[in-house]
Amino acid sequence: MNTELLLQFLVNGVIIGTLYGVVAMTFVLIYKSTQVVNFAQGEFLLIGAWVCWAFLVHFEMPFWLGFPLTLVFMFAFGVLLQVVVLRPMLGEPIISVIMLTIGLSIVFQAAMSWIFGVFARPYPQVFETESVNILGLDVQPAYLLSFVISLLIMVGFFAFFKYSRMGLAMRATAFDQQIAASMGISVRRVFALAWGISAMVSAVAGVTVGMVNGVSSALSFFGIKVFPAAILGGLDSIVGAIVGGLIIGLLENVAQFVDGEYLNWGNLYNIVPFYVMIVILMIKPYGLFGTKNIERI
Amino acid sequence: MTHKLNVCVGLAAFIGSVTIAMAAETIPVGQLVDYTGPTADISTPYGHAVQDSIGYINDNGGIDGRKIELKTSDYSYQVPRAIATYKSWVSGFKPVLIQGWGTGDTEALSGFVAKDKIVYMSASYSGHLTDPTGKSPHTKRPAPYNFFYGPTYSDGCRALIEWAKGDWAKKGGEGAPAFVHMGDNHPMPEAPRAACESYAKDLGFEVLPPIRYSMAPGDFKSQCLSLKQSGADYAFMGNTTGSNISLLNSCDTVGVDETQFMTMVWGFDENVVKSAGEATDGIVWPVGSALWDSEAPGMNLIHEIMAENGRTGETLHYIRGVCSAFYMRDAMTMAAAKGDITGPTIKAAFETMTNHVPTELEGVCLPHSWTHENHRGTVNIRVYQSHWNNGDNTFEFLTMVELPRRDDWLGW
Amino acid sequence: MALSADSMRCGEFRTSYKADTTIFPTPRSRNFALAGLLALLVAPFIFDSYVVSLLIQIGYYAIAALGLNILVGSTGQISIGHGAFFGVGAFGSAWLSNSFGIPVILAIPLAGVMASAVGLVAGIPALRIKGLYLAIATLAAQFILEDIFSRAVWFTGGPAGSMASEPSIFGYIFNSDQSYFYIVLFFLVVMFLAGANMLRSRDGRAFVAVRDHYLSAEIMGINLAKYRVLSFGVAAFYAGIGGALFAHYLGYVSAESFTLMLSIQLLGMIIIGGLGSVMGTLLGVTFMVLLPEVMDMAVGAVGDVIPGLAEGSSYLKQMAIGLAIVLFLIFEPDGLAHRWKQIKAYWKLYPFSY
Repeated sequence: MNTELLLQFLVNGVIIGTLYGVVAMTFVLIYKSTQVVNFAQGEFLLIGAWVCWAFLVHFEMPFWLGFPLTLVFMFAFGVLLQVVVLRPMLGEPIISVIMLTIGLSIVFQAAMSWIFGVFARPYPQVFETESVNILGLDVQPAYLLSFVISLLIMVGFFAFFKYSRMGLAMRATAFDQQIAASMGISVRRVFALAWGISAMVSAVAGVTVGMVNGVSSALSFFGIKVFPAAILGGLDSIVGAIVGGLIIGLLENVAQFVDGEYLNWGNLYNIVPFYVMIVILMIKPYGLFGTKNIERI
Repeated sequence: MTHKLNVCVGLAAFIGSVTIAMAAETIPVGQLVDYTGPTADISTPYGHAVQDSIGYINDNGGIDGRKIELKTSDYSYQVPRAIATYKSWVSGFKPVLIQGWGTGDTEALSGFVAKDKIVYMSASYSGHLTDPTGKSPHTKRPAPYNFFYGPTYSDGCRALIEWAKGDWAKKGGEGAPAFVHMGDNHPMPEAPRAACESYAKDLGFEVLPPIRYSMAPGDFKSQCLSLKQSGADYAFMGNTTGSNISLLNSCDTVGVDETQFMTMVWGFDENVVKSAGEATDGIVWPVGSALWDSEAPGMNLIHEIMAENGRTGETLHYIRGVCSAFYMRDAMTMAAAKGDITGPTIKAAFETMTNHVPTELEGVCLPHSWTHENHRGTVNIRVYQSHWNNGDNTFEFLTMVELPRRDDWLGW
Repeated sequence: MALSADSMRCGEFRTSYKADTTIFPTPRSRNFALAGLLALLVAPFIFDSYVVSLLIQIGYYAIAALGLNILVGSTGQISIGHGAFFGVGAFGSAWLSNSFGIPVILAIPLAGVMASAVGLVAGIPALRIKGLYLAIATLAAQFILEDIFSRAVWFTGGPAGSMASEPSIFGYIFNSDQSYFYIVLFFLVVMFLAGANMLRSRDGRAFVAVRDHYLSAEIMGINLAKYRVLSFGVAAFYAGIGGALFAHYLGYVSAESFTLMLSIQLLGMIIIGGLGSVMGTLLGVTFMVLLPEVMDMAVGAVGDVIPGLAEGSSYLKQMAIGLAIVLFLIFEPDGLAHRWKQIKAYWKLYPFSY
């Protein structure tokens, strides 16, 4: 077995997996806090990427200015979206809210295509180096940035949820909205904050992918990858989301390795994550780290 | 709410029928485009070109004095919408010709247009659309009313194989060169694969197992690692521009230096160069027309049409769109000379063309010949190579491949 | 006091179980349905090909959507993989009629059975997994089936797709929109009656019990495993028939057509129509099928008035479709059926509604 090649695949898997993990984390954040399954998560990546591109190319700002501005914009966007569109849907059946987010994703896709055009656009070169060599695999610095950022975000989220008042409030709201409200927590504010943070972090992921592949309307396809990752890790576990993302990334690459070297079927890269997800769900129906629903009569 | 919708539909049907009564002198032509869907980046220049050209034709005498009435519909690559639009056209607008777009709509409507006798000029160049009578064993359904301007996907790939053969000898390569087809498991990339791999084998290539990569852009470093591992000398990318950009970027990072990348007609244009930059250096691909730098007299018309419509910075697919519209014009003119302009007469007119090039587009469009039994319009393929030159990108014309008109290649 | 059956009463009084579990809620609604059916029977002679083709589309999507409604609305199991079952039916019908020479009119129900078998297998995760996790598991089923469609050349023709021929009964070939409409109408009526009937039967009540409180249902003796998986099977059967009708209408089946987008559209149809409601399914499907057409006309009209908008009209149309869904759900999250019931209730007691 070609261990050197396998190692390269594994490194690639980890790098890509962290990116999936970051996106899954944003998805789980919204679900955990507001019980909403956000089908428009991929579009958040897209909007973040395009907005950053606009700042960098149209307004010709340097990266260290444009990127934080993008984050601020996306935070405001997330909050606004929650207040305007989702607040009326509080208390409605979950499936209607899912459909609402699907409708939103259609609107965003079309709006982005209209505003920014349909052609893929490259990002201006942000890093001097073309690629960095890790354990035999050349990796673009953008992915490394995302890796570092996702680690920071993980640590940040952990600290936020464990030690800060707002984080505690969010956890309480996720546990039981009514009790949290009766304890004096502003559930509205928690919701708005959750969407804002999620949009902001999605922008990070979007910008990363945009830096590597250029921005185009297909960035939202990343949103589809999110689901197996989030489910695998457990829909309400942030750590689970990261782990899920890593697993999906590694699985894809190992599958490609096996496919390329031995089987030559051609489709394992796309399909293996889904098969594995079903198997894992059959064993652990709430994902690897999801909270088990204790059933009471 | 449902009531209001019913009223709207009824009103639309009424308006449609009134319009028919008024439009007796115009030639109805339908156009399907994808301006908002997954293939928007390549449909936009092509669709614009067809619209602009028809506007130009109308401004300059039309067809025998009659103007073309063009109806454009964006179906966003959702086949049911294309079918609904087609049905609404057939019952009201009654087009004699439809300028279609991609594999989705072309395949779905091919049976319908054959039944309704409407000529369908597509931007999908699948080989099986070239068999109007179903002679070939590869053809599942004859496509008598399908035409298109440009070489088939299979022929494009075959031309690249021929070039690669010559290139391998020139490079002084030892032994059999290795060829790999890369693409999604999807009708468009798959269409030329069997034919291309077979021809490669005929010419002495070692054919490696195909590598799949998605039509949706993403990260393809895994596939590039496999490609690098396989040691392929020539890799044919069968997907469209969007995913090719990602593939080229990924492979550039992974460091796939030994492989010569080739792609198909819809897989490369100026936007890919803009997005992928240096990773596109050296790509070879077939172009179905002359390019912007050509000095052929026909390019003046292209520039004139673009200037009239305020188009700047269009990709090379624009030129093919203009060619498609003008071949349509010529077929209609020939049909008008013999009598009426209807679907069957336009089809008959196309099938009399032999090495035909519209007069104003001399040197730009490739000569096309269609017969009643063979809709493989052109066997001449211009092969180009892209050179990055540190940002000063140029497209170099390598060779014009003329493929033989083999009977066993019909519909394949 | 005896009230005549035709007068507007201020309430519906049932005095027996049989009267309570009728397929149509009231004799009036049954009469309206019959009248609607008669109107549809003559529709192909009045309307042109375009309207008939829209009605055909509404027909086969409605059959598939009813299956999904039984699964999601009545049994409470969210499924995002319905488009794949639709595809199994489409390919299955084409394969059966091409490879075995089975007449198309028989191949359609057989394709439904094939899809049902696939649905039963896909429903097995439902035994263990619940809620949103199950929804994403069905998403996995969607992608897996899509992959199988593009690779199983013996069944689907691979990327090249397969041909589906027109149905013919005793030599009469149904190859025009008008004639095919009757085939679709026939299946629509049969499947809808069967669906409504099932929902009022023991199995239907079991489905609803599983949705509302599965623990109590289990305590009462309802076999959860059986009904959860059965629900998938039934839903897939409906989707298979819808898919088969779709295939024979187009004459050509391609794996491209059965993507996640289709599953989401079907889900949207039943959500907008109203979960758990048979009539709501029809309303929702009509809404979703007519929405792009109406937007086409609306945006075209607006584009003529405001010239700058013409370039962006395609985007505007897409945005309008998405906005229509969003606004609809904000103002009526329970669907069209619920809104219709509210309207009826208002007028029933007019002017004394309280």
